[in-house]
Amino acid sequence: MNSKANLRTALILITVIALVSVGLKVKPILKNYDDFNPQIAYKVNYNYFFKSKDNSSTVVKTFIPKSNSRQRISSEQIKNDSTLLFAKKITKNGNVRGIWGTDSRKTYHTVNYEFIFEGKDRVYTIPKQFNSVSEKYDRYLAPTNNIQSDHIKISDLATRLGQNTQNDNEVIKNIFDHVYSIPSAPIITLTDALTAIEQNRASCNGKSRLFVAICRNLGYPARIKGGIIVENTNKRTSHVWAEVLINQTWIPFDALNNHYASIPANYLEIYEGDEFLITHTPDIQFDYTYQINEVNHISFLKMNSEEISELSSISLWSIVEAGIMPKNALNLLLLLPIGGLLVAFLRNVVGVKTFGVFLPVLIAFSLLHIGFISGMILFVTLILLVGLISYPFDKIGLLYTPKLVISLTIMVGLMIIATMVGIRYNIAWLTTLTFFPTIILTIAAERFSRATVEDGYKMAIDKLFQTLLATAICYALLSWSWLPSILIIFPECILLIITCAMLLGRYIGIRWVEFYRFKPLFN
Amino acid sequence: MFSTISHMKSRKESKVIGLNERNIKLIYPNNPKKHYPLADDKVLTKEILHQYDIPCAETYAVIEYNSDIKKAWAYCKKYNTMAIKPANGCGGGGIKIIRKDLDNNWTTSGKVISEREIFQHMAATIMGFFSLGSHDRVLIEECIEPHPFFHEIYPQGVPDFRIITLDKKPLMGMLRMPTDRSDGKANLHQKGVGIGVNMEKGTLTQVYDGKLYYDHHPDSKFVVKDVPIPYWEEILEISVATAKAFPLNYLGIDIVIDKIKGPQIMEINVRPGLGIQLVNKEGLKNSILKTNR
Repeated sequence: MNSKANLRTALILITVIALVSVGLKVKPILKNYDDFNPQIAYKVNYNYFFKSKDNSSTVVKTFIPKSNSRQRISSEQIKNDSTLLFAKKITKNGNVRGIWGTDSRKTYHTVNYEFIFEGKDRVYTIPKQFNSVSEKYDRYLAPTNNIQSDHIKISDLATRLGQNTQNDNEVIKNIFDHVYSIPSAPIITLTDALTAIEQNRASCNGKSRLFVAICRNLGYPARIKGGIIVENTNKRTSHVWAEVLINQTWIPFDALNNHYASIPANYLEIYEGDEFLITHTPDIQFDYTYQINEVNHISFLKMNSEEISELSSISLWSIVEAGIMPKNALNLLLLLPIGGLLVAFLRNVVGVKTFGVFLPVLIAFSLLHIGFISGMILFVTLILLVGLISYPFDKIGLLYTPKLVISLTIMVGLMIIATMVGIRYNIAWLTTLTFFPTIILTIAAERFSRATVEDGYKMAIDKLFQTLLATAICYALLSWSWLPSILIIFPECILLIITCAMLLGRYIGIRWVEFYRFKPLFN
Repeated sequence: MFSTISHMKSRKESKVIGLNERNIKLIYPNNPKKHYPLADDKVLTKEILHQYDIPCAETYAVIEYNSDIKKAWAYCKKYNTMAIKPANGCGGGGIKIIRKDLDNNWTTSGKVISEREIFQHMAATIMGFFSLGSHDRVLIEECIEPHPFFHEIYPQGVPDFRIITLDKKPLMGMLRMPTDRSDGKANLHQKGVGIGVNMEKGTLTQVYDGKLYYDHHPDSKFVVKDVPIPYWEEILEISVATAKAFPLNYLGIDIVIDKIKGPQIMEINVRPGLGIQLVNKEGLKNSILKTNR
């Protein structure tokens, strides 16, 4: 009894220490709560190199991004030598332009324009019927040199795409599908809308212009949008897509990368209109790169890296900053105990029965990569297929371990075949199979096939269903994007998990499913 | 939500024990893990039973190595019927009842089986085919013929009593019976039925099939209510003797009544299931209170 009392004291002590340590950090964190909640954060750096002219002044102009509802631009820094004059100007369609000018002759100049970009993705739902548009948007309906929306070929195509449609939504879908189906080609030179039709191949700028041209022809105000797809790399390519004005909102469409009425988190919006990102005085030596680096951030905190490190010595931020451990691996490590606790709760308090104790957590992790619905379907298919294929081997009467090896081999074989089929026919979700924890999945399949023999297929299916339920619940918890960040700032939670597990371990209450099982005894 | 709360209240009154409470309050403190093999290994169980002269099926042979199969068989051949079991089998897998027919052929489940096939079965058992890959022993023992009392209730299969003991005292009991749908098996979750037992009077109470209660066996319509159990005093005696013989304080003891020799211990279980509460319409906590009064 004494050791029990000691244990209880120790547990209370651990809990109190953990809670106090959490409490000390809570206040500054609440103060710095960030309701913008970006999904990603990158440091972007425009690097320009040029040699000024020998007979006149030289100017380099570029567009500069602005914050909006889905992107935040901050920590802007401009570095250039003192002979360059910098000015910001707002153009007539609302873009911001940075202009560097110099009167010096035949000298080399570098310009660094740096900022932090934080972005969120957006998915829009389009109404069936659109409201009529006021006259002030007329310029988004007018043809231009490169967007020949009044050309007969464009008109023909637009009429064809508009046929047999019930509403505006379907028209836009038709236009998008048509432009998306045009083969893409890495054409660097300018492709106008007409050329895109004639060549039947185009890159982002040709496709966007064609999309805009068809929309304008059918009376939907549309415009080109320019920016950069940010990735953790140095690049020279910028990107353009299109926007259509639907009920006072500009809705994004990227007919090259198949983003229909949606925009991914890593699209940096820089300007609108059919413009060039960089313009400079003709006939000068000019070169550029975009230097892009991912920044460690915590989505719900308005703090930079140093501020987070100063928050408390008890946090895992230093591991994140050191960059030795891949972020995903760290997240997985931190989420495992939480997932385990959830499974313990589901088993001992709810009474859910699953194949394999921690299988639901591990499958839920794979689902984060694969996607929930296709992942669940793949998971069930794999279990059923492996169970089915290994059934004849069960019948022959093989020793347990060698039989397990056969199932494992079948599982690996299925994964490889599915991946190959996926690559051959370009079916993305089939190539994600290797994210599954192979061995644990095999053991689950083995248990499933044994359960069908021992308890009947009805019980086995029932248990499989319960496993799926537990997996779905784990997925719901693990897919909460704040969770890893919270654990990084509050690693004390791990101690609290131990306390919770101790409490669960001594829980003698009736499991929820036992209320149902022993129902006749409760009346 | 409110229904859950009202359930909680009635749970307190009904004294039902759930899996969590069974594990923490009954199994962990009463059954030390190091003694589990005494119950899980049928050969070890029988060694102790024989040692204390507790009635159980006579052991004909125990085979540990393939090389001993022929020798053991030479000895066992003289019997007309026997049960061949894996010592560590689970869920009844690998148990074969064989008997001689009129032409002196060995048969199992009504089909003729050659000596060669019997040897193969024994060799497979030794290789661990029925015990998840670990080496195992073969137990050959006397085949128990059920008492005619059972035939009145239901004529087929082997019914058995399950007595739960705590601290060497019988707590609760039930009679497990096969049905038309259970394929000769008497287990509740294999579609057999459980019949409640009045521990004080030694009579049967009601039949439970996993869903509903009846006062008769669902197939034979034999009314069980208040039917006295033959040999009831002996059943209680050998249960207590068994509980005293083992260093395990919470047991599920399986007993069959042989038509000549009376009650025999079949096997003992360190993790007895909780369905017995449903069969008896009583929570285990309640019977613990009653027994210790």
